[in-house]
Amino acid sequence: MTLEEAKRYLLRRARELGLQAEVLFQEERELSLRARQGTLEEIKEARQGGIGLRVVVQGHVGYAYTEELSPEALEWALSEARDNALLADKEGFIPLGQALGSHDLLGEGLSAPLETKKQSALELERALRDDPRTRSVLMGGYMEKEVRVALSSTLGAEGAFRTGLAGMGGSLVMGDGPSLKQGWDFKLAKEFHLLDPGRTALEIREKTARHLNARPLPTGRYRAYLEPKAMAGLLLVLSRSLSAKSALEGKSRLLNRLGERIASEWVTLVDDPTLEKGLLSRPFDAEGTPAQRTVVVEKGIFKTFLHNAETARALGQENTGHAFRTYRGILDVAPTNLFLEPVGNLRLEKGVLITEFMGLHAGANPVSLDFSLQALGLWVEEGEVRYAVENFAVAGNLLDLLQAIEAVGDELDWEVMGSAFGSPLVAVAELSFAGA
Amino acid sequence: MLSPDLVETLLRQALKGGADFAEIYAERSRRRRMIVRSGRLEEAISGLDYGAGIRLFFGTEVVYAYTNQLTREGLLEALETLLRAKGALGQVDERGAGGLDFRKALPKGLHTPRTSYGEKDKRYRLERLLEAEAGARMAPEIRQVEASLQEWEQEVLIANTEGTWAEEKRVRTRLFVLAVAQDGTEVQTGYAAPGKSVGLELFDLFPPKEVGAKAARQALTNLRAKPAPAGTMPVVVGNAFGGVIFHEALGHLLETTSVAKKASVLADKLGEEVASPAVTYIDDGTLPHAWGSTEVDDEGRPTERTVLIERGVLKSYMVDRLGHLLTGYPMTGSGRRQDYTFAPTSRMRNTFIAPGDKEVEDLITSVEFGLYAKELGGGQVKPGSGEYNFAVQEGYIIRHGRLEEPVRGAMLVGKGPETIRKVVAVAGDWENAPGMCGSLSGMVPVEVGQPHVLVSEIVVGGRA
Repeated sequence: MTLEEAKRYLLRRARELGLQAEVLFQEERELSLRARQGTLEEIKEARQGGIGLRVVVQGHVGYAYTEELSPEALEWALSEARDNALLADKEGFIPLGQALGSHDLLGEGLSAPLETKKQSALELERALRDDPRTRSVLMGGYMEKEVRVALSSTLGAEGAFRTGLAGMGGSLVMGDGPSLKQGWDFKLAKEFHLLDPGRTALEIREKTARHLNARPLPTGRYRAYLEPKAMAGLLLVLSRSLSAKSALEGKSRLLNRLGERIASEWVTLVDDPTLEKGLLSRPFDAEGTPAQRTVVVEKGIFKTFLHNAETARALGQENTGHAFRTYRGILDVAPTNLFLEPVGNLRLEKGVLITEFMGLHAGANPVSLDFSLQALGLWVEEGEVRYAVENFAVAGNLLDLLQAIEAVGDELDWEVMGSAFGSPLVAVAELSFAGA
Repeated sequence: MLSPDLVETLLRQALKGGADFAEIYAERSRRRRMIVRSGRLEEAISGLDYGAGIRLFFGTEVVYAYTNQLTREGLLEALETLLRAKGALGQVDERGAGGLDFRKALPKGLHTPRTSYGEKDKRYRLERLLEAEAGARMAPEIRQVEASLQEWEQEVLIANTEGTWAEEKRVRTRLFVLAVAQDGTEVQTGYAAPGKSVGLELFDLFPPKEVGAKAARQALTNLRAKPAPAGTMPVVVGNAFGGVIFHEALGHLLETTSVAKKASVLADKLGEEVASPAVTYIDDGTLPHAWGSTEVDDEGRPTERTVLIERGVLKSYMVDRLGHLLTGYPMTGSGRRQDYTFAPTSRMRNTFIAPGDKEVEDLITSVEFGLYAKELGGGQVKPGSGEYNFAVQEGYIIRHGRLEEPVRGAMLVGKGPETIRKVVAVAGDWENAPGMCGSLSGMVPVEVGQPHVLVSEIVVGGRA
């Protein structure tokens, strides 16, 4: 069966069984080209697709998915979803749907010939090696992903969209005497021709080499400047607390704080799935709610959680259209393109420029928002980078950090970690550093 | 899943196209997850993963394709895409002409579950999860409890042009409990998550009530804990999941994935002393019912017990097929992948520091001022520089050789090869604990482990 046939089969059978059902299907094509020492050491070509089913029985929700599209597998998914719903005890519903249309957010973005893409991967890898400080290149390469998502429900939702990304990057070890640093970066774009292998390689080299010959950082409290990549990591952690689902599950400290000041006046946080060329823009969410721009924090004031239809009803608030579900998962809430709005009042003075946080999944608690993170950094004095610093950790609470933001730069940079997180350079009045 | 006839056709086709080696990996996995919050089942999902990966070697260059279309047409199309990408479509190499004689290895059932998933209904599972939640509700400060069950039944078939034909059914079950404690505006969490290569007997091995209580005690301890001190100090690292420190700081540096590219600081060091003589480090894929055990690896080779470091001396790396081709080191049955969407690379299985001869008390009493990192969270490493970090989930201050107040928010930071030389004492209470490890070939189940160990100095990140 094709995915299209499987979708029709499931909706028909759901109606026969008296189930309300929502079917999400996803088809992905992936190409990755990994170069090393002048040859393509790995070429990966892939197609993957599956169908995720959400059913409601007597007001309760159950889920199942399958990648095998035989009638037996689809029947198994239907009966598992129904059993799961019958056992579940949480109220849920499938929203009344509408015709959402068919959208193409990718166009010809990935349509360059394979040979051109191969050459780009090889060129990037070569450029990574082209530096006397490069000790080894782990990989340099190109990858692209094309995704088609379709949503249909027995309540009338019907829509589809096609999107995708191209990316280029690599990983290398650089050295100067006994000092070694490993660097990694990946640049993403909506179109292949926007990627520049030579410039990307140069950036990766410079961003890695600037950490060589690092000195220990004495334990203390310093002003911190967070580069976009570092701040994006913190936004990822914070985004869990901005989810109304987390709030309902008792996992957000922001519950009951709507309308309060949770950050300094320089902080305006926006999620915008309608951004033109936004890395993770989409026309509608996983429940079929049309996309809209949402201001989450405005000049430090907490305006709204991110909601899906279920959480909006449960908290009696407006649905922001942030339902998230992959065919393999359950209904959740997630940002799309979440970013800190540029201000342009930042000037480097003295402190630690934090370029990257490591181990976010372990060192930052998304519930308490406490963090203690190993970081890479540079010592800044009189507005200039003086030397690299290493072997230290930065600790605090994310809510305190947001209050201590005293300046925000003027240029957005994006990182994709599930969702896309954007930030300019950010200055934080003081953070606690543990080092030598 | 696939007939020997179809597999043979595909493999021969690959050789005809000029590949030096070809491998098929097919998988059908059933997964279930149930989540209980506030005394009720909130979410349950069941799923069927189904797909196959085809890997071809041209010398040491690898091409990989995967698809969910496990039909003759679907697989042949995937193969042709690869040969086209390699510019080898339409070639005829004589090596594809002969027949393939598969040596079928029958599974021995070393990790077969005692209580299979079919033996109990979903209601039974729900009751166990409710017990776990009840176990965690031990104090009014416990505001939220989340208990979830994860079932994973994976059938794999691996066949290659060297005649390997291996099939295995792998069953893994894990129980997670997260407890959130609150006092005023202070919020802290605790966590317990036992998992094994077993069926529903997991609930007998780890009574849910006790698992819940463990998570809750940790949350309550953290609630009364003070911020950890910052600085460089001796650290006693707890047993079981404490082993994650050396998983990150040492284990990843011994995988040919990084060693072959000279991207590990421990490359080319076989036979050299790389650790303190107190350290013997083992990666064992054969431990019965361990979370990271399998009978064959994801390249179809029997798994092994591999002594990596013996009394401080580097004895072996963890070697997959590609790593073997690149380095010449013998394969160790360490080729692993998350699922059919990844080509395998060398990965850890169940990795641990072997027990030593000290008592845990001796380790503590020898410290004038330091940290007892009883339970660790996750961490991360950069193999090229050896820099690692990980979070202390439950920690205590050691003062004048005695355990004193609990501290929270500590992060251990350092360079692996330096830390492993600073292991000054190893106790005898070896235990392992499960985790999920992420690397080039995705997330794979592993165990980490050790007895209590004393490290003479580590940078502890806390509040300055």
